[in-house]
Order: sequence, then C-alpha cells, then structure tokens
Amino acid sequence: MTSMNDRILFEDVSKFYGEVLGVNRITLNIPPGVTTLVGPNGSGKTTLMNLMTGLVQPSSGHVSVLGLTPGDADRFFRQVGYCTQFDSFPRRLTGAEFLFDSLLLHGMSEGDAFRLAAEAIDRVRLGDAGLRRIESYSKGMRQKIRLAQAIAHHPRVLVLDEPLNGLDPMARAESLALFQELSRQGVHLVISSHILDEVDRISDRVVLITGGYIVAEGDIHEVRREVRDKPMQVLIRCDQPELLASRMFTANHCVEARLHADGKGVFLRTADIDEFYRLLNKIAVEGLVTIEAVAPADDDTLAIYQYLIGGDGSPS
Amino acid sequence: MSVYKHEYRAYTGRLTPLWARLAVVARYAVAEAWSSRITVGLFTLSMLPVVVYLVGIYLANNPLARMLIMRRDSVFEIDASYFLRVLETQNWFALVMAAWIAPRLVCPDLANNALPILLSHPISRLGYVLGKLTALLVCLSPVTWMPCLLLFAYQGYSSAGPWFAGNLRIAAGLMAGSLLWIALLSILGLALSSWVKWKVAATGAIFAVVFVPAGIGGIITGVLRTKWGFLLNVPVMMTQLWQRLLGGPEVMRADLQLSSTAILIVLSLASGICLMMLNARIRGREVVRG
Repeated sequence: MTSMNDRILFEDVSKFYGEVLGVNRITLNIPPGVTTLVGPNGSGKTTLMNLMTGLVQPSSGHVSVLGLTPGDADRFFRQVGYCTQFDSFPRRLTGAEFLFDSLLLHGMSEGDAFRLAAEAIDRVRLGDAGLRRIESYSKGMRQKIRLAQAIAHHPRVLVLDEPLNGLDPMARAESLALFQELSRQGVHLVISSHILDEVDRISDRVVLITGGYIVAEGDIHEVRREVRDKPMQVLIRCDQPELLASRMFTANHCVEARLHADGKGVFLRTADIDEFYRLLNKIAVEGLVTIEAVAPADDDTLAIYQYLIGGDGSPS
Repeated sequence: MSVYKHEYRAYTGRLTPLWARLAVVARYAVAEAWSSRITVGLFTLSMLPVVVYLVGIYLANNPLARMLIMRRDSVFEIDASYFLRVLETQNWFALVMAAWIAPRLVCPDLANNALPILLSHPISRLGYVLGKLTALLVCLSPVTWMPCLLLFAYQGYSSAGPWFAGNLRIAAGLMAGSLLWIALLSILGLALSSWVKWKVAATGAIFAVVFVPAGIGGIITGVLRTKWGFLLNVPVMMTQLWQRLLGGPEVMRADLQLSSTAILIVLSLASGICLMMLNARIRGREVVRG
C-alpha cells in the first residue's frame, strides 16, 4: 500500500449548496491518528465530514479516502464509519437489533453481524442495555449506540460528529480512551467537537475552519508557533517567580508577566518564543532561580481557536 | 507504521449482494407500516368488498343458490365488467392505504435526519428509494392484485365451462392494472412524503394531488367542452385504462374517451416529476448554517 493510500485527501475541494457556500478550495492530507475539526456552527465542519464519508459530492475538486472514492460503495463504506450528530432510530428496536440491521446494511452475513454487534456493544460499554429498546435510552446511551454503529464493522476511517455531546464525564473519559486505543491501532479518527479541552488531550492534529475556509491545520503546537502575531504564554514553576519575571522583562520580546495564584510560578507572555527559551536557559545556567517546570500555557486547541476564530469554541 | 496497527483487523469477510441490503431497508419499512393499528384496520376494511365479491361469484356459479335466492332475471354475469368493479374497489382502497403508509416510511427519516446514518452504508439514494418502494408494493399487493387474482381463480374453479382459459386476459389485466396503479401510488406517496415532513399533512397532500386536479380537469372539460380536461383527472384516466386492460365494455361516451397513449404519457410525466422530487429531497445531508 502506498503512503497516499493511507491518507484522507482533499484536493482543491469546493462544495456549494446552490448559492450557499459549504466549503471552499480545501486541500487537506490527513494521516492516521486523531484529527480534530474545530470551527463555529455553520463553519463547514459537517460538510467536510459529509464529503469524506461520501454523503455529498464536491462541486469541484477531488476527495479520496485511503485511495477509495464513494463511487466504489462496497469497498468505500467497508473502510468508513460515520457517527452523525443526528439521532434517529427505527422504533421498537433494541440497541443490539439496531446494530445487527446496520451490519446487514453493510453487507455482513447474519452470523458475522450478530458477532460484530455484540463486540461493538461491549466496546462502547453499553452492557445489558444493548438488549433494551432504544426508546428507553438516555441521551448518553443513544450517543454510545451511535458510536457503536460507526465502529461495529471495523472501519479504518472513523468520522465522528460531536461524539461527546450528552455524555457524562465518566462516559466521556471512556469514549476518549476508546478513541485513543483506535488511534494507536492505526485508525483514522476525524472528530468534530466543541469540548475542545478534552478532545485536545488525544488529538494529533487540528483543522480550524470558519466560513467554509481552512484557517489553520497541522500539529497543534506547530500551528500555535505559526500564530506569530499572538504572543505565546509559558508557565514557569520556580522558587523566585518575581525575580524571574523582572529578569525576563529585560528582554524586549517579553510583553506580560502574571504570578500564579499559589505564588510558586509565573505566566510569561513572549513575542519571540525561540529568544525566550534561549534567555531562560541562560538564567537557569546562571543559577539565579531554581526552575522546576516549564510548560506552554496557551498552545492548546482552545487557545488557537480563540486567537484565530474568536469566541470560546462553545456552541453558539 | 505503528506497531499496534497489526492488532487492528478490518472486516475481510464476504459481502452480501446489493439486493439483500435493500431487503433490510424494505423489511424496516414493512414492519413500520404494519406496526400501526390503523394500517391493520384499513387492510381489514379493504377485505370486506373481497368477501362480498366472493359471495357474488359463489352465488353466480351455484345452481342451488341461483334457484333459491335469485330470480332468473337478476342473475348477473361474472365477466370483465364484474372484475372491473372488483379492481376499481380494491385500487381505491389502495389509495387510502398508500396515503396512510407512505408518509410513515419517509417523513420520520427526513424529520429526524436519519438519512446521513442510512446513506453512510453501502446503499445508494436509489437503493433507499427502491427499498421503500418495495415496502409499499409489498403492503399494497395484498389489497389489490392478490385478492383480485384469488377471486379470478375462484371463478375459474367454480364455473362449469372452460371459463378460465377463455378469460386469461382478465387475469393479465387485473395484474397489470393493479401493478401500474400501486407503482404510481408508491412513487407519488414517497415523493410527497419527502417534501412534507408532517405525516398528517403528507397524507392530505396525497389525496389532494389525486382529487384537486381532477376537479380542475372537470371544470376545464365542462367550460371548454373538451375531453382533454380529463388528463388531469386520475380517477377517470385510470378507470379508462383498467377497462381497456380487462377488455370490458366502454364505461364512458365515445367522445369522452382518452387515448391510451395520452393517458400513459401523462402518468409517465407525473412519475417523472415524482422522481425529480425524490432526487431533490433524498440526500445524505442536512445543511446547517449558523
């Protein structure tokens, strides 16, 4: 298999719904791992997901998933699992029956469908609730059965639209652990979520989209470094934070300092991160202060979202 | 490549053929249709005329019954006209059932955005429509051609002479007339249901599309003194078509007869419009713009 056959590729893709712009001139190359789609409501995230799951066709450009196009439906949908944000289930079906029928729709034999449905229920930890009717499920359980439906046929690409909505903290943690496990096993996970701080922990890459255009994409730390007009914030844990702050302010690039609430650290904001670390090294070598820890304080998805798009990333 | 990748095993088993997947959609839909007591009630009601017609055939063929119950001058013939009445009765019951069932198969999927989930399986939009269409045909068949053919078979069994072989055209007409009608009703029902998300409104829209143009056609015919107004009148067109398929006597004056070609063109146009409506609405996405 060539490397391009292991990627989700968007080549200059545009999608218009009549005169309404869905996404415009998108070029993406998504490798295996967890990729988070971030953007405000109506930014084009769902359109992007619909394009990669073959639910809509691009107005121009080309989309391929692991070298396959939706025209080859049998092979394409064997590789792709989609967990939509909408929740609709046939009435009177139990969770297990819903998965069983979904697997039959994927073209599995009854024996395989039965086995894979049981396995998926186990994976999302739905337990005995799998044998209950979906009408009786809580919102979190409905979210789980949707996720089970998406992973049941062992896809290599998993597209998850708001998969953490409605889940309690424990269920969120379980879902994130499952995503991490799948990611480690080489599955492509493309997740759109407004719960940025939690998704951030497992994301390898981020794609920021607004108004149908990609604003930034790539490794979160690299993207943050690219945002040069916003000074970066670093938390330094040390024994004399005031002294460190005054020393750092001798450099022009240091624009803000704020003591940590416990008095044992300082948040420093710098316009030149490379020069900042050089100076910090020098201070450490001089032995002026004892540095315990250094950690970037704003190179997470939420910070990048705030810098590039504005708002707090929560649904409007 | 991640070392863990080797743990992940994608499904490599054989896939079932496409028709088997469509059967899953159809099975869902049939179960949904028959889960309603009203569907069962309508079906039961639609069987009452069949019983009446069955009794009619029995009486017409039983010498003792004819002698005891019927005066000689009131004996009726079991012929194309009789089966035309059967076909008309059953096919109008089919309209009522289609107007009730079709919205229940499509409206909830559209109202709840179920299409993205369904269409992210290896079935196409065409497959989805075919599955629902199959379900409707399955639901309407026991009301239309099945009882009609059973009555025909019973008449063939009951009649003394070589009635069966001499009237095979009636059987073919019953089958073709019913299939044509329920196919048209199914496409019309699905198309209107895909545009009207509220089930009750969709049911009303199906009746309206059949009878409102018929009224307008009647006005055109009356005012302009032309038979072409009947091209908007589905009941008249279908009655003329069924009569010709069964080979029965004309039911309307000769100057009001429409040609079969004109009727088929109008029905084809109506079906084409319905398919365009379905193409516009049965999509695997919902545009959400903030």
